[in-house]
Amino acid sequence: MKYISLQAVLFSLLILSGCSTTSSVSEEGGDSATDSEITYPEPDPEIAGILESYRNELDQETGKRVAVITDTLKFGQPEGALGNLVSDALRYRASRELRSFVNVGVIGEISFGLFLTPGDLTVGEVLEFMPYENHLVVLTLSGRKIQELANQIASIGGAPVSGLRFRIEGDRARGVLVNSQVLNPDSYYTVATTSWVANGGDQFPALWEYSDRNDLYDVDVRQLYIDHFESRREIYPVIDGRVR
Amino acid sequence: MISRKEFLKRSAALAAGTALPLWLSDGDREVSTRPDITILYTNDTHARLDPFPDNALQFAGLGGIARRASLVKKIRAQEKNVLLLDAGDVFQGTPWFDVYGGKVDLKLMTEMSYDAMAVGNHEFDRGPDGFAEAAQKAGFPILASNYHVQNTPMNPYVRRLLVKSIDGFRVGIFGLGIELDGVVPKELQGDVRSRNPEAWARGMANSLRDYHKCDFVVCLSHIGYSYDDDRIDDVKIAERVKGIDLIIGGHTHTFLDEPVAITNPEGKTTLVTQMGHGGVRLGRVDLNLNRSDAPFALTSQFYTIGKDSLS
Repeated sequence: MKYISLQAVLFSLLILSGCSTTSSVSEEGGDSATDSEITYPEPDPEIAGILESYRNELDQETGKRVAVITDTLKFGQPEGALGNLVSDALRYRASRELRSFVNVGVIGEISFGLFLTPGDLTVGEVLEFMPYENHLVVLTLSGRKIQELANQIASIGGAPVSGLRFRIEGDRARGVLVNSQVLNPDSYYTVATTSWVANGGDQFPALWEYSDRNDLYDVDVRQLYIDHFESRREIYPVIDGRVR
Repeated sequence: MISRKEFLKRSAALAAGTALPLWLSDGDREVSTRPDITILYTNDTHARLDPFPDNALQFAGLGGIARRASLVKKIRAQEKNVLLLDAGDVFQGTPWFDVYGGKVDLKLMTEMSYDAMAVGNHEFDRGPDGFAEAAQKAGFPILASNYHVQNTPMNPYVRRLLVKSIDGFRVGIFGLGIELDGVVPKELQGDVRSRNPEAWARGMANSLRDYHKCDFVVCLSHIGYSYDDDRIDDVKIAERVKGIDLIIGGHTHTFLDEPVAITNPEGKTTLVTQMGHGGVRLGRVDLNLNRSDAPFALTSQFYTIGKDSLS
Protein backbone atom coordinates (compact mmCIF):
# COMPACT_ATOMS: atom_id res chain seq x y z
CA MET A 1 0.00 0.00 0.00
CA LYS A 2 2.70 2.41 0.98
CA TYR A 3 4.59 1.43 -2.11
CA ILE A 4 1.72 2.23 -4.43
CA SER A 5 1.08 5.58 -2.83
CA LEU A 6 4.77 6.42 -2.98
CA GLN A 7 4.86 5.63 -6.67
CA ALA A 8 1.81 7.79 -7.14
CA VAL A 9 3.37 10.68 -5.30
CA LEU A 10 6.51 10.34 -7.35
CA PHE A 11 4.60 10.32 -10.58
CA SER A 12 2.36 13.19 -9.72
CA LEU A 13 5.37 15.22 -8.61
CA LEU A 14 7.10 14.50 -11.83
CA ILE A 15 4.10 15.75 -13.71
CA LEU A 16 3.46 18.77 -11.55
CA SER A 17 7.03 19.93 -11.73
CA GLY A 18 6.82 19.82 -15.49
CA CYS A 19 10.24 18.33 -15.80
CA SER A 20 11.50 16.96 -18.99
CA THR A 21 9.42 13.91 -19.83
CA THR A 22 8.97 15.52 -23.21
CA SER A 23 12.16 17.48 -23.63
CA SER A 24 12.36 16.63 -27.31
CA VAL A 25 9.37 18.87 -27.82
CA SER A 26 9.51 22.61 -27.29
CA GLU A 27 10.21 23.05 -23.59
CA GLU A 28 11.30 26.65 -23.65
CA GLY A 29 7.75 27.66 -22.82
CA GLY A 30 5.85 30.87 -23.07
CA ASP A 31 8.69 33.19 -22.25
CA SER A 32 10.41 32.64 -25.58
CA ALA A 33 7.18 32.68 -27.55
CA THR A 34 8.75 33.07 -30.97
CA ASP A 35 5.76 31.58 -32.74
CA SER A 36 3.25 33.02 -30.34
CA GLU A 37 1.05 36.00 -30.35
CA ILE A 38 1.74 37.54 -26.96
CA THR A 39 -1.33 39.29 -25.70
CA TYR A 40 -1.60 41.69 -22.81
CA PRO A 41 -5.26 41.55 -21.91
CA GLU A 42 -6.62 43.66 -19.09
CA PRO A 43 -8.10 41.32 -16.48
CA ASP A 44 -11.81 40.76 -17.10
CA PRO A 45 -13.52 42.81 -14.37
CA GLU A 46 -16.31 40.29 -13.79
CA ILE A 47 -14.01 37.30 -13.33
CA ALA A 48 -11.52 39.37 -11.32
CA GLY A 49 -14.38 40.53 -9.09
CA ILE A 50 -15.52 36.99 -8.30
CA LEU A 51 -11.93 35.95 -7.65
CA GLU A 52 -11.47 38.86 -5.24
CA SER A 53 -14.59 37.82 -3.33
CA TYR A 54 -12.81 34.58 -2.42
CA ARG A 55 -9.45 36.16 -1.67
CA ASN A 56 -10.20 37.25 1.89
CA GLU A 57 -10.66 33.69 3.10
CA LEU A 58 -7.59 32.63 1.14
CA ASP A 59 -5.56 35.35 2.83
CA GLN A 60 -6.94 34.45 6.24
CA GLU A 61 -5.77 30.89 5.83
CA THR A 62 -2.51 31.43 4.01
CA GLY A 63 -1.62 35.07 4.68
CA LYS A 64 -0.06 34.36 8.06
CA ARG A 65 3.52 35.67 8.27
CA VAL A 66 6.12 33.02 8.97
CA ALA A 67 9.28 35.13 8.64
CA VAL A 68 10.73 38.35 7.28
CA ILE A 69 13.05 38.18 4.31
CA THR A 70 15.75 40.86 4.74
CA ASP A 71 17.33 40.57 1.31
CA THR A 72 16.62 38.69 -1.92
CA LEU A 73 17.51 34.99 -1.78
CA LYS A 74 18.06 33.19 -5.06
CA PHE A 75 19.25 29.85 -6.29
CA GLY A 76 22.59 30.19 -8.01
CA GLN A 77 25.65 28.40 -9.31
CA PRO A 78 28.05 27.23 -8.17
CA GLU A 79 26.38 28.26 -4.91
CA GLY A 80 23.29 30.33 -4.07
CA ALA A 81 21.93 31.66 -0.78
CA LEU A 82 18.56 29.98 -1.33
CA GLY A 83 20.19 26.68 -2.22
CA ASN A 84 22.18 26.83 1.02
CA LEU A 85 19.02 27.53 3.01
CA VAL A 86 16.90 24.72 1.52
CA SER A 87 19.61 22.06 1.83
CA ASP A 88 20.64 23.15 5.35
CA ALA A 89 16.99 23.03 6.46
CA LEU A 90 16.65 19.40 5.32
CA ARG A 91 19.84 18.34 7.08
CA TYR A 92 19.10 20.14 10.36
CA ARG A 93 15.56 18.78 10.55
CA ALA A 94 16.73 15.25 9.76
CA SER A 95 19.31 15.49 12.56
CA ARG A 96 16.64 16.63 14.99
CA GLU A 97 14.18 13.91 13.97
CA LEU A 98 16.76 11.12 14.21
CA ARG A 99 18.48 12.62 17.27
CA SER A 100 21.78 11.99 15.58
CA PHE A 101 24.07 13.96 13.32
CA VAL A 102 23.16 13.87 9.62
CA ASN A 103 26.13 14.53 7.34
CA VAL A 104 24.68 15.89 4.10
CA GLY A 105 21.54 17.58 2.74
CA VAL A 106 20.77 17.80 -0.98
CA ILE A 107 17.79 18.92 -3.11
CA GLY A 108 17.70 20.30 -6.66
CA GLU A 109 16.32 23.71 -7.58
CA ILE A 110 13.73 21.93 -9.77
CA SER A 111 11.76 21.09 -6.60
CA PHE A 112 10.93 24.77 -5.99
CA GLY A 113 8.58 27.33 -7.50
CA LEU A 114 9.78 30.69 -6.20
CA PHE A 115 12.81 32.66 -5.12
CA LEU A 116 12.38 34.90 -2.07
CA THR A 117 12.09 38.68 -2.15
CA PRO A 118 12.44 41.15 0.74
CA GLY A 119 9.44 41.59 3.02
CA ASP A 120 6.98 39.37 4.85
CA LEU A 121 7.02 35.72 3.89
CA THR A 122 3.55 34.13 4.25
CA VAL A 123 2.37 30.53 4.57
CA GLY A 124 0.86 30.86 1.10
CA GLU A 125 4.22 31.82 -0.38
CA VAL A 126 5.92 28.87 1.29
CA LEU A 127 3.26 26.60 -0.24
CA GLU A 128 4.16 28.01 -3.67
CA PHE A 129 7.87 27.94 -2.83
CA MET A 130 7.59 24.17 -2.16
CA PRO A 131 4.45 23.24 -4.15
CA TYR A 132 4.72 19.47 -3.79
CA GLU A 133 3.57 17.03 -1.16
CA ASN A 134 6.50 14.87 -0.17
CA HIS A 135 8.28 13.74 2.95
CA LEU A 136 11.77 13.73 4.40
CA VAL A 137 14.06 10.79 3.60
CA VAL A 138 17.46 9.96 5.09
CA LEU A 139 19.71 7.77 2.96
CA THR A 140 22.95 6.10 4.01
CA LEU A 141 25.60 6.26 1.28
CA SER A 142 29.17 5.01 1.00
CA GLY A 143 31.96 7.58 0.73
CA ARG A 144 32.41 6.53 -2.88
CA LYS A 145 28.81 7.40 -3.61
CA ILE A 146 29.25 10.75 -1.85
CA GLN A 147 32.17 11.50 -4.19
CA GLU A 148 29.92 10.51 -7.09
CA LEU A 149 27.19 12.82 -5.78
CA ALA A 150 29.71 15.68 -5.53
CA ASN A 151 30.82 14.95 -9.10
CA GLN A 152 27.23 14.99 -10.31
CA ILE A 153 26.69 18.34 -8.59
CA ALA A 154 29.94 19.63 -10.14
CA SER A 155 29.02 18.41 -13.61
CA ILE A 156 25.90 20.59 -13.67
CA GLY A 157 27.80 23.59 -12.30
CA GLY A 158 26.58 23.37 -8.70
CA ALA A 159 23.36 22.49 -6.84
CA PRO A 160 21.89 23.11 -3.38
CA VAL A 161 23.94 21.03 -0.93
CA SER A 162 24.65 21.12 2.80
CA GLY A 163 27.51 19.53 4.74
CA LEU A 164 29.79 19.18 1.70
CA ARG A 165 32.58 21.55 0.62
CA PHE A 166 34.45 21.17 -2.65
CA ARG A 167 35.73 23.03 -5.68
CA ILE A 168 34.63 22.38 -9.24
CA GLU A 169 37.39 21.55 -11.72
CA GLY A 170 36.01 20.86 -15.17
CA ASP A 171 33.08 18.58 -14.45
CA ARG A 172 34.62 16.97 -11.33
CA ALA A 173 34.49 17.78 -7.61
CA ARG A 174 37.96 18.17 -6.07
CA GLY A 175 39.04 18.27 -2.42
CA VAL A 176 35.70 17.06 -1.08
CA LEU A 177 35.21 17.71 2.65
CA VAL A 178 32.28 16.23 4.58
CA ASN A 179 31.55 18.28 7.70
CA SER A 180 35.08 19.77 7.45
CA GLN A 181 36.79 16.38 7.24
CA VAL A 182 38.36 14.78 4.22
CA LEU A 183 35.95 12.39 2.52
CA ASN A 184 36.74 8.75 3.33
CA PRO A 185 35.62 6.49 0.47
CA ASP A 186 35.26 3.56 2.88
CA SER A 187 33.13 5.36 5.46
CA TYR A 188 29.34 5.66 5.42
CA TYR A 189 27.47 8.97 5.51
CA THR A 190 23.84 9.98 6.02
CA VAL A 191 22.13 12.19 3.42
CA ALA A 192 18.86 14.09 3.98
CA THR A 193 16.65 14.72 0.96
CA THR A 194 12.98 14.52 -0.10
CA SER A 195 11.03 11.45 -1.15
CA TRP A 196 10.74 12.81 -4.68
CA VAL A 197 14.49 13.27 -5.04
CA ALA A 198 15.19 9.88 -3.40
CA ASN A 199 12.71 8.23 -5.78
CA GLY A 200 14.70 9.44 -8.77
CA GLY A 201 12.83 12.63 -9.56
CA ASP A 202 15.92 14.81 -9.61
CA GLN A 203 19.24 14.45 -11.41
CA PHE A 204 21.41 12.74 -8.78
CA PRO A 205 21.77 9.04 -9.69
CA ALA A 206 24.35 8.63 -6.90
CA LEU A 207 21.43 8.72 -4.46
CA TRP A 208 19.77 5.71 -6.07
CA GLU A 209 22.36 3.22 -4.81
CA TYR A 210 22.05 3.65 -1.09
CA SER A 211 22.89 1.11 1.57
CA ASP A 212 19.98 2.21 3.76
CA ARG A 213 16.84 4.29 3.34
CA ASN A 214 14.79 5.76 6.17
CA ASP A 215 11.46 7.32 5.15
CA LEU A 216 10.25 9.87 7.69
CA TYR A 217 6.64 9.78 6.47
CA ASP A 218 5.43 12.13 9.19
CA VAL A 219 7.76 14.95 8.20
CA ASP A 220 5.99 16.75 5.37
CA VAL A 221 8.54 18.82 3.48
CA ARG A 222 6.18 21.79 3.01
CA GLN A 223 5.63 21.89 6.77
CA LEU A 224 9.38 21.42 7.28
CA TYR A 225 10.06 24.67 5.44
CA ILE A 226 7.25 26.52 7.22
CA ASP A 227 8.76 25.36 10.55
CA HIS A 228 12.25 26.31 9.42
CA PHE A 229 11.26 29.85 8.46
CA GLU A 230 9.18 30.32 11.61
CA SER A 231 12.01 29.25 13.88
CA ARG A 232 14.39 31.76 12.30
CA ARG A 233 12.00 34.71 11.95
CA GLU A 234 14.54 36.80 9.98
CA ILE A 235 15.96 35.25 6.83
CA TYR A 236 19.10 36.68 5.26
CA PRO A 237 21.31 35.35 2.48
CA VAL A 238 24.42 33.37 3.42
CA ILE A 239 27.13 32.37 0.97
CA ASP A 240 29.99 30.43 2.55
CA GLY A 241 31.99 29.09 -0.37
CA ARG A 242 30.89 25.49 0.10
CA VAL A 243 30.85 24.94 -3.68
CA ARG A 244 33.30 27.09 -5.63
CA MET B 1 7.55 36.67 -34.85
CA ILE B 2 5.62 34.88 -37.53
CA SER B 3 2.60 36.70 -38.81
CA ARG B 4 -0.79 35.09 -38.56
CA LYS B 5 -1.05 34.74 -42.32
CA GLU B 6 2.27 32.98 -42.58
CA PHE B 7 1.28 30.67 -39.79
CA LEU B 8 -1.90 29.84 -41.64
CA LYS B 9 0.11 28.97 -44.69
CA ARG B 10 2.39 26.73 -42.70
CA SER B 11 -0.63 25.01 -41.23
CA ALA B 12 -2.43 24.72 -44.53
CA ALA B 13 -1.06 21.26 -45.20
CA LEU B 14 -3.00 20.15 -42.16
CA ALA B 15 -6.29 20.76 -43.94
CA ALA B 16 -8.29 17.60 -43.68
CA GLY B 17 -9.38 15.37 -46.52
CA THR B 18 -7.14 16.74 -49.23
CA ALA B 19 -3.60 16.39 -50.48
CA LEU B 20 -3.62 19.83 -52.07
CA PRO B 21 -2.15 22.69 -50.13
CA LEU B 22 -4.86 25.13 -49.21
CA TRP B 23 -4.16 28.84 -49.06
CA LEU B 24 -6.51 30.99 -47.14
CA SER B 25 -6.06 33.83 -49.58
CA ASP B 26 -7.13 31.48 -52.37
CA GLY B 27 -10.67 32.85 -52.35
CA ASP B 28 -12.06 30.90 -55.31
CA ARG B 29 -12.35 27.74 -53.31
CA GLU B 30 -14.65 29.36 -50.80
CA VAL B 31 -18.16 28.14 -51.60
CA SER B 32 -20.49 29.70 -49.11
CA THR B 33 -20.49 31.81 -46.03
CA ARG B 34 -21.00 29.36 -43.20
CA PRO B 35 -19.48 30.79 -40.07
CA ASP B 36 -16.24 29.22 -38.92
CA ILE B 37 -15.92 27.30 -35.68
CA THR B 38 -13.25 28.40 -33.23
CA ILE B 39 -12.02 25.98 -30.57
CA LEU B 40 -10.16 27.56 -27.63
CA TYR B 41 -8.45 25.33 -25.09
CA THR B 42 -6.33 25.03 -21.99
CA ASN B 43 -4.88 22.15 -19.96
CA ASP B 44 -3.20 21.61 -16.59
CA THR B 45 -4.10 25.05 -15.25
CA HIS B 46 -3.33 23.69 -11.75
CA ALA B 47 -5.18 26.26 -9.63
CA ARG B 48 -3.16 29.07 -11.22
CA LEU B 49 -5.96 31.61 -10.87
CA ASP B 50 -3.58 34.51 -10.32
CA PRO B 51 -0.73 35.09 -12.77
CA PHE B 52 2.59 33.47 -11.84
CA PRO B 53 4.12 35.76 -9.19
CA ASP B 54 7.01 38.04 -10.12
CA ASN B 55 9.41 35.89 -8.09
CA ALA B 56 8.36 32.64 -9.79
CA LEU B 57 11.31 30.62 -11.09
CA GLN B 58 9.39 30.09 -14.37
CA PHE B 59 6.77 32.15 -16.24
CA ALA B 60 6.94 35.13 -13.85
CA GLY B 61 4.00 37.46 -14.48
CA LEU B 62 2.33 35.26 -17.10
CA GLY B 63 -1.15 33.72 -17.11
CA GLY B 64 -4.07 34.44 -14.75
CA ILE B 65 -7.68 33.42 -15.24
CA ALA B 66 -9.09 37.00 -15.35
CA ARG B 67 -6.78 37.89 -18.23
CA ARG B 68 -7.56 34.61 -19.98
CA ALA B 69 -11.26 35.45 -19.56
CA SER B 70 -10.93 38.83 -21.22
CA LEU B 71 -9.00 37.30 -24.12
CA VAL B 72 -11.74 34.69 -24.54
CA LYS B 73 -14.37 37.42 -24.39
CA LYS B 74 -12.56 39.38 -27.10
CA ILE B 75 -12.43 36.32 -29.37
CA ARG B 76 -16.12 35.57 -28.70
CA ALA B 77 -16.91 39.11 -29.84
CA GLN B 78 -15.08 38.44 -33.11
CA GLU B 79 -16.17 34.86 -33.81
CA LYS B 80 -19.73 33.57 -33.85
CA ASN B 81 -19.07 29.97 -32.88
CA VAL B 82 -16.62 29.42 -30.06
CA LEU B 83 -16.04 26.22 -28.12
CA LEU B 84 -13.97 26.50 -24.93
CA LEU B 85 -12.40 23.29 -23.63
CA ASP B 86 -9.97 22.14 -20.92
CA ALA B 87 -8.02 18.87 -20.86
CA GLY B 88 -7.92 18.41 -17.08
CA ASP B 89 -5.81 18.96 -13.95
CA VAL B 90 -7.58 22.11 -12.91
CA PHE B 91 -6.89 20.98 -9.32
CA GLN B 92 -3.70 21.35 -7.23
CA GLY B 93 -0.72 23.65 -7.54
CA THR B 94 -1.37 26.87 -5.63
CA PRO B 95 -2.83 27.80 -2.22
CA TRP B 96 -6.16 28.41 -3.99
CA PHE B 97 -6.50 24.63 -4.15
CA ASP B 98 -5.30 24.13 -0.57
CA VAL B 99 -8.08 26.43 0.66
CA TYR B 100 -10.95 25.85 -1.81
CA GLY B 101 -10.31 22.41 -3.32
CA GLY B 102 -11.05 23.49 -6.91
CA LYS B 103 -14.43 25.14 -6.28
CA VAL B 104 -13.29 28.62 -7.29
CA ASP B 105 -11.63 27.34 -10.46
CA LEU B 106 -14.75 25.47 -11.60
CA LYS B 107 -17.01 28.40 -10.74
CA LEU B 108 -14.89 30.83 -12.75
CA MET B 109 -14.66 28.39 -15.67
CA THR B 110 -18.46 28.23 -15.61
CA GLU B 111 -18.66 32.03 -15.65
CA MET B 112 -16.36 31.96 -18.68
CA SER B 113 -18.74 29.46 -20.36
CA TYR B 114 -16.36 26.55 -20.71
CA ASP B 115 -18.15 23.88 -22.74
CA ALA B 116 -16.40 20.84 -21.26
CA MET B 117 -13.33 19.59 -19.43
CA ALA B 118 -11.57 16.24 -19.08
CA VAL B 119 -10.86 14.56 -15.75
CA GLY B 120 -7.18 14.84 -14.80
CA ASN B 121 -5.46 12.65 -12.22
CA HIS B 122 -5.19 15.59 -9.80
CA GLU B 123 -8.97 15.89 -9.88
CA PHE B 124 -8.73 12.90 -7.47
CA ASP B 125 -6.48 14.70 -4.98
CA ARG B 126 -9.35 14.91 -2.49
CA GLY B 127 -10.99 11.67 -3.59
CA PRO B 128 -14.32 11.24 -5.42
CA ASP B 129 -16.09 13.11 -2.59
CA GLY B 130 -13.83 16.14 -2.90
CA PHE B 131 -14.29 16.07 -6.66
CA ALA B 132 -18.08 15.95 -6.31
CA GLU B 133 -18.10 18.81 -3.83
CA ALA B 134 -16.16 21.05 -6.22
CA ALA B 135 -18.01 19.78 -9.32
CA GLN B 136 -21.27 21.19 -7.94
CA LYS B 137 -19.83 24.54 -9.06
CA ALA B 138 -19.29 23.31 -12.62
CA GLY B 139 -22.04 24.33 -15.03
CA PHE B 140 -20.51 22.31 -17.86
CA PRO B 141 -20.03 18.57 -18.47
CA ILE B 142 -16.88 16.87 -17.21
CA LEU B 143 -15.86 14.13 -19.63
CA ALA B 144 -14.14 10.79 -19.03
CA SER B 145 -15.38 7.97 -21.26
CA ASN B 146 -13.10 5.32 -19.77
CA TYR B 147 -13.81 5.99 -16.07
CA HIS B 148 -16.43 3.81 -14.45
CA VAL B 149 -18.09 6.17 -11.96
CA GLN B 150 -21.43 4.47 -11.33
CA ASN B 151 -22.27 4.27 -7.62
CA THR B 152 -19.60 6.85 -6.78
CA PRO B 153 -20.09 10.51 -5.82
CA MET B 154 -18.63 11.49 -9.22
CA ASN B 155 -21.52 9.91 -11.14
CA PRO B 156 -23.77 13.00 -11.44
CA TYR B 157 -20.96 15.10 -12.90
CA VAL B 158 -19.04 12.85 -15.26
CA ARG B 159 -20.18 12.02 -18.80
CA ARG B 160 -18.62 10.10 -21.63
CA LEU B 161 -19.24 12.43 -24.52
CA LEU B 162 -20.90 15.58 -25.75
CA VAL B 163 -22.24 16.57 -29.18
CA LYS B 164 -22.49 20.22 -30.22
CA SER B 165 -24.44 20.99 -33.36
CA ILE B 166 -23.28 24.30 -34.77
CA ASP B 167 -25.30 25.49 -37.76
CA GLY B 168 -25.73 21.86 -38.72
CA PHE B 169 -22.05 20.98 -38.35
CA ARG B 170 -21.76 18.37 -35.62
CA VAL B 171 -18.77 18.43 -33.29
CA GLY B 172 -18.39 15.37 -31.05
CA ILE B 173 -16.22 15.58 -27.94
CA PHE B 174 -15.25 12.71 -25.66
CA GLY B 175 -13.03 12.57 -22.59
CA LEU B 176 -10.14 10.20 -21.94
CA GLY B 177 -8.58 9.76 -18.50
CA ILE B 178 -5.24 8.28 -17.51
CA GLU B 179 -5.12 4.78 -16.01
CA LEU B 180 -5.44 5.43 -12.29
CA ASP B 181 -3.30 2.67 -10.80
CA GLY B 182 0.23 3.92 -10.19
CA VAL B 183 -0.84 7.53 -10.71
CA VAL B 184 -3.60 8.10 -8.16
CA PRO B 185 -3.18 6.50 -4.71
CA LYS B 186 -5.72 3.67 -4.14
CA GLU B 187 -7.35 5.43 -1.22
CA LEU B 188 -8.10 8.46 -3.40
CA GLN B 189 -9.61 6.42 -6.26
CA GLY B 190 -12.57 5.35 -4.14
CA ASP B 191 -14.76 3.04 -6.21
CA VAL B 192 -13.84 4.69 -9.51
CA ARG B 193 -12.29 2.28 -12.01
CA SER B 194 -10.33 3.24 -15.09
CA ARG B 195 -10.61 1.16 -18.23
CA ASN B 196 -8.40 0.76 -21.28
CA PRO B 197 -8.05 4.23 -22.89
CA GLU B 198 -7.41 2.88 -26.39
CA ALA B 199 -10.46 0.60 -26.42
CA TRP B 200 -12.71 3.37 -25.13
CA ALA B 201 -11.29 5.93 -27.55
CA ARG B 202 -12.11 3.53 -30.39
CA GLY B 203 -15.63 3.00 -29.08
CA MET B 204 -16.27 6.71 -28.62
CA ALA B 205 -14.90 7.67 -32.04
CA ASN B 206 -17.05 5.02 -33.74
CA SER B 207 -20.13 6.06 -31.80
CA LEU B 208 -19.63 9.76 -32.54
CA ARG B 209 -19.07 9.08 -36.25
CA ASP B 210 -21.66 6.39 -36.93
CA TYR B 211 -24.42 6.92 -34.40
CA HIS B 212 -24.14 10.63 -33.57
CA LYS B 213 -23.23 11.52 -37.19
CA CYS B 214 -20.46 13.91 -36.18
CA ASP B 215 -18.50 15.87 -38.77
CA PHE B 216 -15.58 16.58 -36.44
CA VAL B 217 -14.40 14.54 -33.45
CA VAL B 218 -12.35 15.93 -30.56
CA CYS B 219 -10.69 13.76 -27.93
CA LEU B 220 -10.18 15.69 -24.70
CA SER B 221 -7.36 13.65 -23.21
CA HIS B 222 -5.44 13.62 -19.95
CA ILE B 223 -3.27 10.57 -20.68
CA GLY B 224 -0.12 12.49 -21.71
CA TYR B 225 1.48 13.51 -24.99
CA SER B 226 4.14 10.87 -25.63
CA TYR B 227 6.17 8.36 -23.59
CA ASP B 228 9.30 6.45 -24.55
CA ASP B 229 7.92 3.23 -23.07
CA ASP B 230 4.72 1.33 -23.86
CA ARG B 231 2.38 3.43 -21.74
CA ILE B 232 -0.54 4.64 -23.86
CA ASP B 233 -0.31 8.29 -24.91
CA ASP B 234 -1.95 10.79 -27.28
CA VAL B 235 0.41 9.95 -30.15
CA LYS B 236 -0.33 6.21 -29.86
CA ILE B 237 -4.09 6.90 -29.73
CA ALA B 238 -3.73 9.00 -32.90
CA GLU B 239 -1.76 6.24 -34.64
CA ARG B 240 -4.09 3.40 -33.62
CA VAL B 241 -7.63 4.83 -33.55
CA LYS B 242 -9.52 6.08 -36.58
CA GLY B 243 -12.15 8.76 -36.60
CA ILE B 244 -10.52 11.37 -34.34
CA ASP B 245 -9.69 14.75 -35.90
CA LEU B 246 -8.11 16.51 -32.94
CA ILE B 247 -6.66 15.36 -29.62
CA ILE B 248 -6.42 18.16 -27.07
CA GLY B 249 -4.07 16.70 -24.48
CA GLY B 250 -2.70 17.31 -21.03
CA HIS B 251 -0.83 15.68 -18.12
CA THR B 252 2.73 15.91 -19.50
CA HIS B 253 2.70 19.76 -19.45
CA THR B 254 3.98 19.73 -23.01
CA PHE B 255 4.29 23.01 -24.89
CA LEU B 256 3.50 22.25 -28.54
CA ASP B 257 3.91 25.37 -30.67
CA GLU B 258 1.97 23.68 -33.46
CA PRO B 259 -0.28 20.63 -33.46
CA VAL B 260 1.55 17.44 -34.39
CA ALA B 261 0.03 15.70 -37.42
CA ILE B 262 -0.25 11.91 -37.13
CA THR B 263 -1.56 9.60 -39.83
CA ASN B 264 -4.34 7.44 -38.39
CA PRO B 265 -5.31 3.89 -39.51
CA GLU B 266 -7.68 5.34 -42.14
CA GLY B 267 -4.81 7.29 -43.68
CA LYS B 268 -6.32 10.55 -42.49
CA THR B 269 -4.71 13.11 -40.24
CA THR B 270 -5.25 13.25 -36.49
CA LEU B 271 -3.80 16.36 -34.89
CA VAL B 272 -2.35 16.26 -31.37
CA THR B 273 -1.97 19.46 -29.38
CA GLN B 274 -1.22 20.59 -25.81
CA MET B 275 -0.65 24.00 -24.19
CA GLY B 276 1.92 23.42 -21.44
CA HIS B 277 0.51 24.25 -18.02
CA GLY B 278 -0.48 26.99 -15.60
CA GLY B 279 -2.68 28.86 -18.08
CA VAL B 280 0.36 30.53 -19.62
CA ARG B 281 -1.05 29.84 -23.06
CA LEU B 282 -4.50 29.70 -24.65
CA GLY B 283 -4.67 27.40 -27.66
CA ARG B 284 -6.84 28.10 -30.70
CA VAL B 285 -7.99 25.97 -33.64
CA ASP B 286 -10.21 27.44 -36.36
CA LEU B 287 -12.33 25.32 -38.67
CA ASN B 288 -13.12 26.94 -41.99
CA LEU B 289 -16.26 25.24 -43.29
CA ASN B 290 -16.47 27.10 -46.61
CA ARG B 291 -14.48 24.75 -48.81
CA SER B 292 -15.66 23.09 -52.00
CA ASP B 293 -12.90 20.50 -51.81
CA ALA B 294 -13.08 19.36 -48.18
CA PRO B 295 -15.54 19.42 -45.29
CA PHE B 296 -13.30 21.84 -43.45
CA ALA B 297 -9.85 23.41 -43.39
CA LEU B 298 -8.09 23.78 -40.10
CA THR B 299 -5.72 26.45 -38.87
CA SER B 300 -4.06 26.75 -35.51
CA GLN B 301 -2.36 29.29 -33.30
CA PHE B 302 -1.82 30.06 -29.65
CA TYR B 303 -1.64 33.09 -27.40
CA THR B 304 0.84 33.64 -24.60
CA ILE B 305 -0.96 35.55 -21.90
CA GLY B 306 1.52 38.26 -20.95
CA LYS B 307 1.85 40.88 -18.29
CA ASP B 308 -0.35 43.95 -18.18
CA SER B 309 1.01 46.52 -20.56
CA LEU B 310 0.71 49.10 -17.81
CA SER B 311 2.58 47.27 -15.04
